[in-house]
Amino acid sequence: MAPPRCLCRAPLPALALALLGLAAAAGPRQTPALELAQELAEELWSAGLPGDLPELEPECRSLLAAFAEGSAALTDCLGRRARPVRLCQGCHGPYRRLLAQYGSIARAVGNSSESHNCAKSILTSDRLQIVVTLSEFFNETWEAANCANCLKNNSEGLSNSTEEFLDLFNKSLTCFEHNLQGQGIDLSPNNYTEVCKNCNETYTKLNDLYNHLQRLNRQGGESAHSAHLCIDVEDAMNITRKLWSRTFNCSLPCSDTVPVIAVSSFILFLPIVFYLSSFLHSKQKKRILILPKRIQSNANLVNIQEKYS
Amino acid sequence: QLTPSSFLRIGQLSNVDLNEDTHELETEVPRQRPNEIPHNEKLLSLKYESLDYDNSENQLFLEEERRINHAAFRTVEIKRWVICAMIGILTGLVACFIDIVVENLAGLKYRVVKDNIDKFTAKGGLSFSLLLWATLNASVVMVGSLIVAFIEPVAAGSGIPQIKCYLNGVKIPHVVRLKTLVIKVCGVILSVVGGLAVGKEGPMIHSGSVIAAGISQGRSTSLKRDFKIFEYFRRDTEKRDFVSAGAAAGVSAAFGAPVGGVLFSLEEGASFWNQFLTWRIFFASMISTFTLNSVLSVYHGNAWDLSSPGLINFGRFDSEKMGYTIQEIPIFIFMGVVGGILGALFNALNYWLTMFRIRYIHRPCLQVVEAMLVAAVTATVGFVMIYCSRDCQPIQGSSVAYPLQLFCADGEYNSMATAFFNTPEKSVVNLFHDPPGSYNPMTLGMFTLMYFFLACWTYGLTVSAGVFIPSLLIGAAWGRLFGISLSYLTKGSIWADPGKYALMGAAAQLGGIVRMTLSLTVIMMEATGNVTYGFPIMLVLMTAKIVGDYFVEGLYDMHIQLQSVPFLHWEAPVTSHSLTAREVMSTPVTCLRRIERVGTVVDILSDTSSNHNGFPVVESNPDTTQAGWVAGLRGLILRSQLIVLLKHKVFVERANLSLVQRRLKLKDFRDAYPRFPPIQSIHVSQDERECMIDLSEFMNPSPYTVPQEASLPRVFKLFRALGLRHLVVVDNRNEVVGMVTRKDLARYRLGKEGLEELSLAQT
Repeated sequence: MAPPRCLCRAPLPALALALLGLAAAAGPRQTPALELAQELAEELWSAGLPGDLPELEPECRSLLAAFAEGSAALTDCLGRRARPVRLCQGCHGPYRRLLAQYGSIARAVGNSSESHNCAKSILTSDRLQIVVTLSEFFNETWEAANCANCLKNNSEGLSNSTEEFLDLFNKSLTCFEHNLQGQGIDLSPNNYTEVCKNCNETYTKLNDLYNHLQRLNRQGGESAHSAHLCIDVEDAMNITRKLWSRTFNCSLPCSDTVPVIAVSSFILFLPIVFYLSSFLHSKQKKRILILPKRIQSNANLVNIQEKYS
Repeated sequence: QLTPSSFLRIGQLSNVDLNEDTHELETEVPRQRPNEIPHNEKLLSLKYESLDYDNSENQLFLEEERRINHAAFRTVEIKRWVICAMIGILTGLVACFIDIVVENLAGLKYRVVKDNIDKFTAKGGLSFSLLLWATLNASVVMVGSLIVAFIEPVAAGSGIPQIKCYLNGVKIPHVVRLKTLVIKVCGVILSVVGGLAVGKEGPMIHSGSVIAAGISQGRSTSLKRDFKIFEYFRRDTEKRDFVSAGAAAGVSAAFGAPVGGVLFSLEEGASFWNQFLTWRIFFASMISTFTLNSVLSVYHGNAWDLSSPGLINFGRFDSEKMGYTIQEIPIFIFMGVVGGILGALFNALNYWLTMFRIRYIHRPCLQVVEAMLVAAVTATVGFVMIYCSRDCQPIQGSSVAYPLQLFCADGEYNSMATAFFNTPEKSVVNLFHDPPGSYNPMTLGMFTLMYFFLACWTYGLTVSAGVFIPSLLIGAAWGRLFGISLSYLTKGSIWADPGKYALMGAAAQLGGIVRMTLSLTVIMMEATGNVTYGFPIMLVLMTAKIVGDYFVEGLYDMHIQLQSVPFLHWEAPVTSHSLTAREVMSTPVTCLRRIERVGTVVDILSDTSSNHNGFPVVESNPDTTQAGWVAGLRGLILRSQLIVLLKHKVFVERANLSLVQRRLKLKDFRDAYPRFPPIQSIHVSQDERECMIDLSEFMNPSPYTVPQEASLPRVFKLFRALGLRHLVVVDNRNEVVGMVTRKDLARYRLGKEGLEELSLAQT
């Protein structure tokens, strides 16, 4: 059986023309994707494949090219913002665009015939289905990063709470820098007390806001995935906490040792008193032996034991 | 010493005239003064009676059987199935109730303490948090212990020893009452919420049994409600079958292990086993776990998921690294050895502690104080361990319910707190499933050590609580430690996943403590949901049992013995063939004549010094071979039957007086079951004392008998296999010479130096 896409037969010359037109429209700044498309067309041409070979319509081809371009842009953005993590802040634009491009591929219907559409020819024609794979990869990454959490509902721009958080974050970083500047470069780990004292307020605010956001999120969300905040916020908080606790060593010192030891040894001492006093003062429970009504024969226990031992 | 002739004389005398005979004996043998000794393990308590498993085939029974036609017996069969379904459903619901209440109350407690600790870590004054935690625990446990100690002491502990005894045929007073169930359920909730080192799984078995006993009777004597249903099942035989179904349903609800439940009933109790009963018990188990599963699923909000089959879920063990290879089996066996040794140590320590408790801490208020102290110390130990631990783990991506930060860096939690600051069930699952590296070896070592002693100290307190989960937790902790050191030794090989070793350690420890074999293997297998683990778990449990048995007995058997229960094991002691029935039996026997004077009966029943329950019925006939009379055995009548007869005043004279009087039916006996009134509550006037009572209609005309020469193992086998309560010893002229009861058989035991004899004592 011939696959349905064979019904549409765009003559190769026309296709090449269209391609050229596209290339011209794109101007001198040819994207790699387009170049590739062109190369492919040329290859086909030179291979002298039969005219009825199923091929992409120009519209589909342009959609594919746009998708390729979009994904390249997104990859670039993601890669550049991997450390420190700024994915959601920086890449929500490219991601949204890519989503739209993918959507138009999935929806688009070619104009030459009703039975033909780009979704089929681009998305499901081969084993590899690279477009689907790519788009799945981006979606998964986006979801794993939980970016939706710190974007506005229409995902245009950051939500207010996130803005507030990042603002505080920047403030505390500035505070850290400010307080460290006065001192020399070769600080011993113990000399950070200045930072701890001066930035405590900002840091505590930041920490509280983070905890608050987390609690809100946990209450609202149901699935395990949304238990996380978006990766930008998490990472920012992690960095700050690491600086605060590990580098500056500002976390709470072990305190109250003496009272804790006193109280616990008091409690641990109680059972000893209890057992001793019950041993000494409580009357030991006695059992009253009952003499069984039995024949007192020779074969009583002593004999049994003698016999067997 | 008695020569055979004098012995015969006593036998004859006792049959001819009972009252005089007892007087005579008392004068002959000067009664020794009551001998007081401290409690020890070599005693049998008089408190415990046997159940009547043997059916009394008297004339009333035959009449009833004749009256009921074949179809009616079919409805009886259907009723049995209905009862089993109800047992399953109710057991499941009770389990749900316990689970939900514990989850909420414990959650509340841990949140309060956590907030408090968080507050005081910053401000200073952590000793207040410690006091708060200890006080909360102690007060919750106090309530739990109060209700147990003052309202129903039989609800203490896990209840498994009691159910084991019940299924063995020992009537433990109050063990299957509704009040016990209520106290048990409340008690277990309070002790788990109180933070003791206990689990809620063991008590489920007791709860299931009480539910079964209650439903099968169709009434509650405590509530004074009789639903007039299931009257056919109002006797010990039927009730005991249902109780075994209830125990199975309890296990199945506790661990999500229906097959394990059936095997538990098989292994621990039901001496009387047939395939229909097995199938019904299995039905009850399945229903129970399904009910629990569906209700909990609805409660957790995913109604069609059915993902929580038991109170404890071990979680899924089906990932790649959880598999095992053949090379690991020797390692597992070694873990079994360790489990056996640790289990024996646990039991030995608990033995001394229990002995001390029985001897010195017998007053209820002392018991409550002890439980409170244990609760406070448990909290303190937990707090100090958490306080001293420097093992911090990142909070992100871990599934800790109540992360305690304390002095850890921000964004990290104290890893000791996952083990101590949590309900034991959750800690077990965490130990099984937390990724490698979640616990410091030091943390695990300290935790194992502390929890071992805490759990050992806790078991035997007057609170209702089980030992399954603490054992699993100890085992999981050292198993995980073992796994970590193994992967350290092998330079981090992929196969040495600590979670797997935690599971094996848990199995080894539990096996070393309770010494169950078949049922425990299947329970663990079903709880993990992984059939391939069956083989290593079996090996581990087998090794643990062999090693442990070398030192001391299992925990449950030990407690049964310490309670002085006349428990009959499967077989008589091996070196007892030279003992004959003559030496084993009690003699002389108080007999009744076929037509007896009411006064005599009343006197015999109200005699406090001899609290007998079965009386051989004899009839004097002229002896054909020799001159004189022979009192041949004609039947056996039970105290309960006599009491019902006296209550309804079934006297020969009265029958003649009023012919219209209704004849006594089997129903009258059933209505009085199981709480027959004491003889003191039955009023018999002076005139009535002179009446005569005819026992021939009511006695069991064909009691089991043995000759005097029968060996102890032979008697034992007959007694155990038929579930008898009384076994009459007769001579060759069919005269009653003695009576063998449970206590006569249970007193022979194989001790360290050979055959030992336990003495009877009043407790």
